[in-house]
Amino acid sequence: MTTQIPSLDDPRVLVQTPATIYDAIPPYAPRTEREAEFYTLRDGEMLVNMGPQHPSTHGVLRLVLKIEGERVSDLDPVLGYLHRGIEKLGENADYHHAICYTDPLEYISSLFNELAPVMAFEQLLDLRVPRRAEYIRVLSCELLRIASHALFMGWMALDLGGLTPILYGFIERDEIVEMLAALTGQRMLFNYMRIGGVNGDLNHEFLSRLGDWMSRALREIEANTTLLNENEIFVKRTRGLGVIDRRMALGLGLTGPNVRASGIPYDVRRAHPYGVYPELEFDIPTRDEGDSYARYMLRVDEIKQSIRIIDQVLHRMPDGPVMAKVPRRITPRPGRAWAAIESPRGQYGCYAISDGTDQPYRFRIHDPSFVNLQAVVPLMPGNLLADTMAVMASLDPVMGGIDK
Amino acid sequence: MSVVVRPSGRLSPTGRVMVPALGVLVLLVVVLLAGIGTGIIPAIVIWIGGVLLANIAIVRFVVAATAVLLFTIPTAFVIIFMELKVIAFMNLRIGPNRVGPWGTLASVVHGLKVLSKEDFTPTGADVSVFTLAPVVTFVASVMAFMVLPFGPGLFGADLNVGMLYFFAVGGLGVVGLLMAGWSSFNKYSLLGGLRSAAQMVSYEIPLTLSVVGVIMLAGTMSLNGIVQAQSGSFLDWFVVRQPLAFLVFFIAATAEANRTPFDLTEADSEIVAGFATEYSGMRFGFFFFAEYVNVFLLSGLAVVLFFGGWTAPVPWPWPVHILVAPGELGLGLLAIVILAPLVGSTLLALPLWMLRSSWPFWRAWILGLVLFTLLAIGAIGIYLLINLDALLGIVWFFAKSYVFVFTFVWMRATLPRIRIDQLMGLAWKWLLPASLVNLFLTALAILVVHP
Repeated sequence: MTTQIPSLDDPRVLVQTPATIYDAIPPYAPRTEREAEFYTLRDGEMLVNMGPQHPSTHGVLRLVLKIEGERVSDLDPVLGYLHRGIEKLGENADYHHAICYTDPLEYISSLFNELAPVMAFEQLLDLRVPRRAEYIRVLSCELLRIASHALFMGWMALDLGGLTPILYGFIERDEIVEMLAALTGQRMLFNYMRIGGVNGDLNHEFLSRLGDWMSRALREIEANTTLLNENEIFVKRTRGLGVIDRRMALGLGLTGPNVRASGIPYDVRRAHPYGVYPELEFDIPTRDEGDSYARYMLRVDEIKQSIRIIDQVLHRMPDGPVMAKVPRRITPRPGRAWAAIESPRGQYGCYAISDGTDQPYRFRIHDPSFVNLQAVVPLMPGNLLADTMAVMASLDPVMGGIDK
Repeated sequence: MSVVVRPSGRLSPTGRVMVPALGVLVLLVVVLLAGIGTGIIPAIVIWIGGVLLANIAIVRFVVAATAVLLFTIPTAFVIIFMELKVIAFMNLRIGPNRVGPWGTLASVVHGLKVLSKEDFTPTGADVSVFTLAPVVTFVASVMAFMVLPFGPGLFGADLNVGMLYFFAVGGLGVVGLLMAGWSSFNKYSLLGGLRSAAQMVSYEIPLTLSVVGVIMLAGTMSLNGIVQAQSGSFLDWFVVRQPLAFLVFFIAATAEANRTPFDLTEADSEIVAGFATEYSGMRFGFFFFAEYVNVFLLSGLAVVLFFGGWTAPVPWPWPVHILVAPGELGLGLLAIVILAPLVGSTLLALPLWMLRSSWPFWRAWILGLVLFTLLAIGAIGIYLLINLDALLGIVWFFAKSYVFVFTFVWMRATLPRIRIDQLMGLAWKWLLPASLVNLFLTALAILVVHP
């Protein structure tokens, strides 16, 4: 027996629908064959709304899960609950303003959100950034990468039911965010990158905090990971779960740790170097398994590489100005520019078209979380309900970036 | 224009309460005197006393049941506070520190908060089942308390099938969870209810089978008898002879109490709050309560079955005789009671006074009095502990039980959650065979050693 669920467009629905399927009604009439098939229930199946308000859907993602008992047979991710129209806002502001709008995109690592558009606008302007500013950019971004990954480790554990790692993760993140607050004046939405450099030189408080933290960073990160790395329950739940092989990773266009965990050493810092990364020594850690555990462990490795980069940056930090000479009102030549950087979640790009006025004609953000989230659809079916969260967590999507 | 002044209007707020109360009191005294004078009240008292004495077993049961019921409340509060504070320390947080010293009243405030919240019933819920579910769960855990021996002679009832009763009544709790899951009209609740049914039913079996070895060794199913069978030193505890059974029992008990890593029924990252998703106010409070009562219950059971219950780990090697019979002293007792604090405080105050030249003598003497009081309380406590077996038994029982409670809390802070198929696999593939092997080995050993 199959049940065809009508849509809310049909006025009879509210009167005639049995209450048991009420909350699985799609918000509109099925538009595609796939939707029609998804919202047709066979016997023994039921739809469960996971999100947009659910304790563990990383923001306001809504997953409509079709389950048979505990097993997920199909799912339909519904996006758009956090859409703020940031790209359009950016097109209606001048170049300096457009950068502030990008801050809350991927709110876990907002410096990266600023860096990509800033680099795109600098390309439009043919601007050379002072070397000290480039080094400070690398320094602050790598710090934030550690903060983001530390938080990821906690989230992953929290979605698997562990209470403590999230707080350990937050301790590391808090240290870093506090020192970045000393540098930029903000804890979360830094608004630090400027066209032509950065806003403000390194100061004493930042450096003393950073020095303090660097002396124990590696030790602390390793101590925090001992709670999970070898934990029998954690390993049993994540190893072999949500395996993305190389073909699938390439096919879906994944980037960042998710693709590196499948054995493809693609990192924008190496593949398309930007800033001063060519001058720095670091490895691109990869793993071959492609499962959730590999994605977790890969981020632990990346933290260690980031600490290595920060160490080199601090030793090589040149003197000089931190801002190039940039006019208040920018009118770049007409043209288009693309800049991509490696954010903690993958390739974060900005595409900007200038028409010669002081506002970008087109301002588009390519967010890695959006691409990575696609992997949810092929990975989930056949898994258990509890694994949905483990796979989601291991992909590390941030809804702010996905919905823009 | 005249203002009507009523007599009560001139009284203070306290007076407005006290004056009618005084009237009622006077009336009561008159009635009482009249009753005694005519001999009605003595007759009633004698009659009631006679009835109570004739049914002493029932009276004892009612008193014990009331005591146990009242006992669950502070237990739950203490464990909730412990969970808040211990997990906070393990998370490198401070934890509750606003209400009471070190936040000790935090759990009481939680209780009041839960009481004052709206008691909400969702549309479409099966109202009667929905209302009854928390009661069933709570009553099941409180009823299981009845057979738990807290000390020598301190138990609700010493059933000769205590073990069976415990598991039978404890197993009722799952009915409440299933009722809650079904009646809430919520898919998460339904999943939680089904999970709890599957989990509890599976883990009842290894839990019960692991205990059979203990029952065979003790030769009785009465929990009191099992404790008495372990009296002696810690080498006589059943954990020494039944380590495998204890391991199985502990894992199964964790699952039975729905604690991490087996807290699938209320897995917040998967099914929001499981069976309790739609519950609010005191109904949720009952579930919450029952969970913590269950934690103590299973800790207590672990202590009773494997760690000697209320017996001390090492019996006191030297017999203690305190040759004081206060009754024989007569008037001398009065003199001692008056003089001892004075002399003791002065003796304790003298060194303080000499060491601190800036202090006047009275200040040193007050400190001496405080010290003497503490010493006296300590001495009386030790005297009572030595002379009252029940008190010592309670102390040991609670000390041991709270070690287990701490372990449960500790596990919650450190371990992630297990998956449902792994949970079932653990129960049926590992715990059940292990408990059967343990049963077989125990039977064999008994056959060989005591044929």
